[in-house]
Amino acid sequence: MSGGPPKALPSTGPHSLRDMPHPLAGSSSEEAVGGDSTPSPDLLMTRSFGDKDLILPNGGTPAGTSSPASSSSLLNRLQLDDDIDGETRDLFVTVDDPKKHVCTMETYITYRITTKSTRVEFDLPEYSVRRRYQDFDWLRNKLEESQPTHLIPPLPEKFVVKGVVDRFSEEFVETRRKALDKFLKRITDHPVLSFNEHFNVFLTAKDLNAYKKQGMALLTRVGESVKHVTGGYKLRSRPLEFAAIGEYLDTFALKLGTIDRIAQRIIKEEIEYLVELREYGPVYSTWSALEGELAEPLEGVSACIGNCSTALEELTDDMTEDFLPVLREYILYSDSMKSVLKKRDQVQAEYETKLEAVALRKEDRPKVPADVEKCQDRMECFNADLKADMERWQNNKRQDFRQLLMGMADKNIQYYEKCLTAWESIIPLLQEKQEAK
Amino acid sequence: MTENNFSLKKIEISVSEAEKRSGRNAVNMQETYTAYLVETRSVEHIDGQSVLTDSLWRRYSEFELLRSYLLVYYPHVVVPPLPEKRAEFVWHKLSADNMDPDFVERRRIGLENFLLRVASHPILCRDKIFYLFLTQESNWKETVNETGFQLKADSRLKALNATFRVKNPDKRFTELKHYSDELQSVISHLLRVRARVADRLYGVYKVHGNYGRVFSEWSAIEKEMGDGLQSAGHHMDVYASSIDDILEDEEHYADQLKEYLFYAEALRAVCRKHELMQYDLEMAAQDLASKKQQCEELATGTVRTFSLKGMTTKLFGQETPEQKEARIKVLEEQINEGEQQLKSKNLEGREFVKNAWADIERFKEQKNRDLKEALISYAVMQISMCKKGIQVWTNAKECFSKM
Repeated sequence: MSGGPPKALPSTGPHSLRDMPHPLAGSSSEEAVGGDSTPSPDLLMTRSFGDKDLILPNGGTPAGTSSPASSSSLLNRLQLDDDIDGETRDLFVTVDDPKKHVCTMETYITYRITTKSTRVEFDLPEYSVRRRYQDFDWLRNKLEESQPTHLIPPLPEKFVVKGVVDRFSEEFVETRRKALDKFLKRITDHPVLSFNEHFNVFLTAKDLNAYKKQGMALLTRVGESVKHVTGGYKLRSRPLEFAAIGEYLDTFALKLGTIDRIAQRIIKEEIEYLVELREYGPVYSTWSALEGELAEPLEGVSACIGNCSTALEELTDDMTEDFLPVLREYILYSDSMKSVLKKRDQVQAEYETKLEAVALRKEDRPKVPADVEKCQDRMECFNADLKADMERWQNNKRQDFRQLLMGMADKNIQYYEKCLTAWESIIPLLQEKQEAK
Repeated sequence: MTENNFSLKKIEISVSEAEKRSGRNAVNMQETYTAYLVETRSVEHIDGQSVLTDSLWRRYSEFELLRSYLLVYYPHVVVPPLPEKRAEFVWHKLSADNMDPDFVERRRIGLENFLLRVASHPILCRDKIFYLFLTQESNWKETVNETGFQLKADSRLKALNATFRVKNPDKRFTELKHYSDELQSVISHLLRVRARVADRLYGVYKVHGNYGRVFSEWSAIEKEMGDGLQSAGHHMDVYASSIDDILEDEEHYADQLKEYLFYAEALRAVCRKHELMQYDLEMAAQDLASKKQQCEELATGTVRTFSLKGMTTKLFGQETPEQKEARIKVLEEQINEGEQQLKSKNLEGREFVKNAWADIERFKEQKNRDLKEALISYAVMQISMCKKGIQVWTNAKECFSKM
């Protein structure tokens, strides 16, 4: 898009006036929205802060437009299959290397964000910056503001009760790092969000704080207008498909909550079992000290129980660090999705109310005024975006849970295998015939 | 009492059934108790077929009577223990009620084990009262009581006294007593912790059952994920219910440990008997020595030790030579008797030590064999539990992979 008057928004949904193919439909992505298929050079060059002429926060290559580097890769990226061919991706983001910073006022952790991209939106092929949780939180808020019609992935929980959880323990930091990594990867995988201006800045800026202080939210038109919806409109009824989504999310969150409680309970019981085992093993050792011929077998049993205890501890640690956080993430996800649904309802309500008002004016030639048309636009965009995102979300959710639950099964299998090895190895020791003492 | 009845024939003993009975007890009150069917079979050498020779009903108190009798008449034997009277070291799901069918069943096995141990003991198997226990249902109690064994039993007070005051017990017995104390303590501890471990393990498995229900509910709102979730949930149910059998098997291991917990008490009984005999011997020797000294003093006229006679002599005058002669004679007789008694006590003591130690060696071998086997079967149980766990989770994983 060149620097002309803002045209129809690059969104993933069909436009009211143009027939833009749905990117998920898998058809050719050659058709452009609003003409220009390549971003103009000056747009690329003017990615400097404070330039108020920038209008498209999510980059110059709207979904569905072809751009030399990304058309087929876009399609591939939109494939919701897990085994995306690495070569067709053009954006890779990783979160790693947590470091603790001790300052006079506070202590906090930063993470290294490494970005590799061939996209034209990035000046350099590679970036490495350091960010802290606050920065992620800022990014998420900006995304919600600027892309209100899309589902924004959740962040790991912000607040931790001090004293209960050690914010600087290795386990906590690692769990958080994984969640932050997942967060960025989900954005990276999103055909619209990954082109978001704020996201780009987050990945590349040396001084993020300066940018933050800008204060100028680069909102899309939809964003602007959605923000301005005062919310005073009442929705008559949610269309069936969105009602179904709402109901689904409600039940889904409920079930996840139950699973979270069960998982926590299991971990609690396992820890209590571990406590007893840690007392149980050594008693065999004590007994072994009293005996002659039985000393070795008893000592062997003691060591065996010790090994099983260690294996159990590993299991509970893994479940706490890898399983529970992902569950919680999805609960947060579905909560934020429900609020997006509500916003959609608002947009629809506004449109319907305004439409009704027009209908009641009893003009001989009821012409749909421009602003009502705009409302309809907004609503249809929103609906399309949401539907597309829902489908993507459903597929990702399926993969994520498949992986999560298989992981849980795996961890349990590994635990039992370790115990099995321990017990099988002492059988020969127990059966050994000893010299008469 | 011995009877060589079946030292030559091979017999099989089993406690095959348990039955609830009610009747009137000694104070004519209605009570319920369990009776156990004791069957004896003799095995014909030629074809190995067994023929039922005797079958009668016994209650737990009769087993107790038999054991008490054996303890008195064979103090040098480590007498096999009975299964516990009341359920102890129970983990919460296990009933502590004596009438509970599982407890009764485990007791039946324990009683059978007791009889088998007695029957396979080289000395005890020849006992007539034991033989009658297996063959004579009516009046057996009277027969036992007629032996008057209760009177022959050592008083606890005497035994306690001896334990404290004995000067020169055989070192091996002192060590053995120490060992049996420690063994009792460590096995008790083990059984207590094991019960808590069982409790916790039960909890872990059962909570997984909740996954079954929630996966089922969740699968109802899912399209492609539904089947995988549903079938995985089923495996979680299987997992949760598998713990019942696992822990039931483990009770058998606990029972094996309990037997040796109670055996520790039997070991201590033998040590106590030795201490008693040794103390008796020491007292007899001491008594003899003092009598000899008295005699010597009377004969030589020197008074080295204080004696009442000496006092009264001083106060009321010397006794006549005749009186003195008479006393010396009495003392000499007592000394003679005493020396004979000491000799026989010494002999008895040495016999006891020899026989007791032989049985203790036999017991040690048995204990090592049995406990090794118990540990092996415990390990096998754990292996089986691990394999089941791997199976269930592998099945669940496959279901998840199809989500």
